[in-house]
Amino acid sequence: MADRRRINGPVGATTPPIFDKPAGPAAAKTRDAIRKIFLKTGITPSASGSAYLELENPNPQRPGNTSLKLSCTVHGPRSLPRSAPFSPHIILTTHVKYAPFATRQRRGYLRDSSERDLGVHLETALRGAIIADRWPKSGVDIIVTVVEGDQDRDSPRAKKDDEGWDMMNVLSGCITVASAAIADAGIDCVDTVAGGVAALVCKDDKTAPTIVMDPVVAEHGSILAACCVAYLPTRDEITNMWFKGRLPGADMMVYDKLMEKSLVACRCANRVIVQELNETVKKGQGIS
Amino acid sequence: MAQTIAIPGQLLGPSSKYVAGPGTHIHEANLYSSVLGTVTIAQPEKKIAPGPAKRLTKIAGLPSSSAQLPTISVSLTGISEKREVLPEVGNVVLCRVTRIQPRQATVAILVVGDTVLEAEWQGVIRPPGRARHREGQGQDLRELPARRHRASAGGESNRFLSEPISLGDQASYYLATASNDLGVIMATSEAGNVMYPVSWKEYRDPETGLNENRKVAKPF
Repeated sequence: MADRRRINGPVGATTPPIFDKPAGPAAAKTRDAIRKIFLKTGITPSASGSAYLELENPNPQRPGNTSLKLSCTVHGPRSLPRSAPFSPHIILTTHVKYAPFATRQRRGYLRDSSERDLGVHLETALRGAIIADRWPKSGVDIIVTVVEGDQDRDSPRAKKDDEGWDMMNVLSGCITVASAAIADAGIDCVDTVAGGVAALVCKDDKTAPTIVMDPVVAEHGSILAACCVAYLPTRDEITNMWFKGRLPGADMMVYDKLMEKSLVACRCANRVIVQELNETVKKGQGIS
Repeated sequence: MAQTIAIPGQLLGPSSKYVAGPGTHIHEANLYSSVLGTVTIAQPEKKIAPGPAKRLTKIAGLPSSSAQLPTISVSLTGISEKREVLPEVGNVVLCRVTRIQPRQATVAILVVGDTVLEAEWQGVIRPPGRARHREGQGQDLRELPARRHRASAGGESNRFLSEPISLGDQASYYLATASNDLGVIMATSEAGNVMYPVSWKEYRDPETGLNENRKVAKPF
């Protein structure tokens, strides 16, 4: 898969040199809240709508140094290409692309299967929120670029049992940022959809697993299961759900609890969207 | 003036008190906002004393009991320049001719109502007979100088005011110019000069003095 037309970076993982004694591992805080979210709309002037999302870095000085940065642009509604058949509703196209430097393992310039997978999840999540028949014969492209992919910056090697839990956080961020960008573009929605993640984590083999919201993968010993949902808060509807992992024992209530925690995370993220959209309108009123 | 801000999914009121305007939707007998913007409530217009009942010549929204309720709508008017709208039946659109064929003219829709479009939407104007659904209502585009204009580049700089009559097919909206105030508002002659209107169906080239047939608009 070597791309010979470009000057590629190193194939393997890289780590920045640190000339300081690293601090000890972060005490896995059991936060009962999601990480702080920075969200801003209207950052790409050429797009119809755009938004940028960044998650607070909980441990900037110690292991667990991780962050999520997403940029979303919405192009459209615009006319469909000539070859497209008649469509009585809007045609939604989503693209999720990692920047080559977004993760430990460098990403190619072409979308790989995990990126396409995220795109499909995002499309499902948004399709339930958009009022598609308001825009007949139109298409809209939603492009999310992952600038930083919520992976531990300090450890160059992935953990042995790394199963891509960070993709869950990326998806929930994608849903939140795309929702703000769609509202910025003026496309009709029934609600502002928001994404949230909850995970079942345990510190080591001896302790009992606990459920946390918005898990920072590097902070926890191991993650047993995680759940990412897209949720419409005022409608109380779920548009997309992704559950992954193995649950210990036969406690079916854990499913419910994980879902409930994810919904709490969604509501938290939605409040950020609501606040930012209010500010978008106020800013516009100030100018005119 | 601080107006009420609405975000998608925000409750605006019961549907028994308001009529849903643009930018809103109804869910379980309640009105919700569906776009980001400010809320405007328009009171219904006072009915003039009923005169002799007119025969309905076009299918418009029939007056109903709900017309007595105020209309609530959400829009970003005056806040964001970027506001995409779709051409709808009843709007007046400004178009530029992109292609002239013997039986139809293909146009690019530039402006819908007061809104300048960002995206390019395609429309089609056809002379009568072809547009069967408008039969008997005059020509969609009278005296479309097709045969003479096909070869000349001048045909492509004509500007039209017209009205969408249908959502159209996969590619284009169907447009008509069957009204006094609709038709050609900017015309270029075969020689390439900008012309001025001399009658309801002719434009004159100021340099050559030749008349060319157009369906002339009378916008004022």
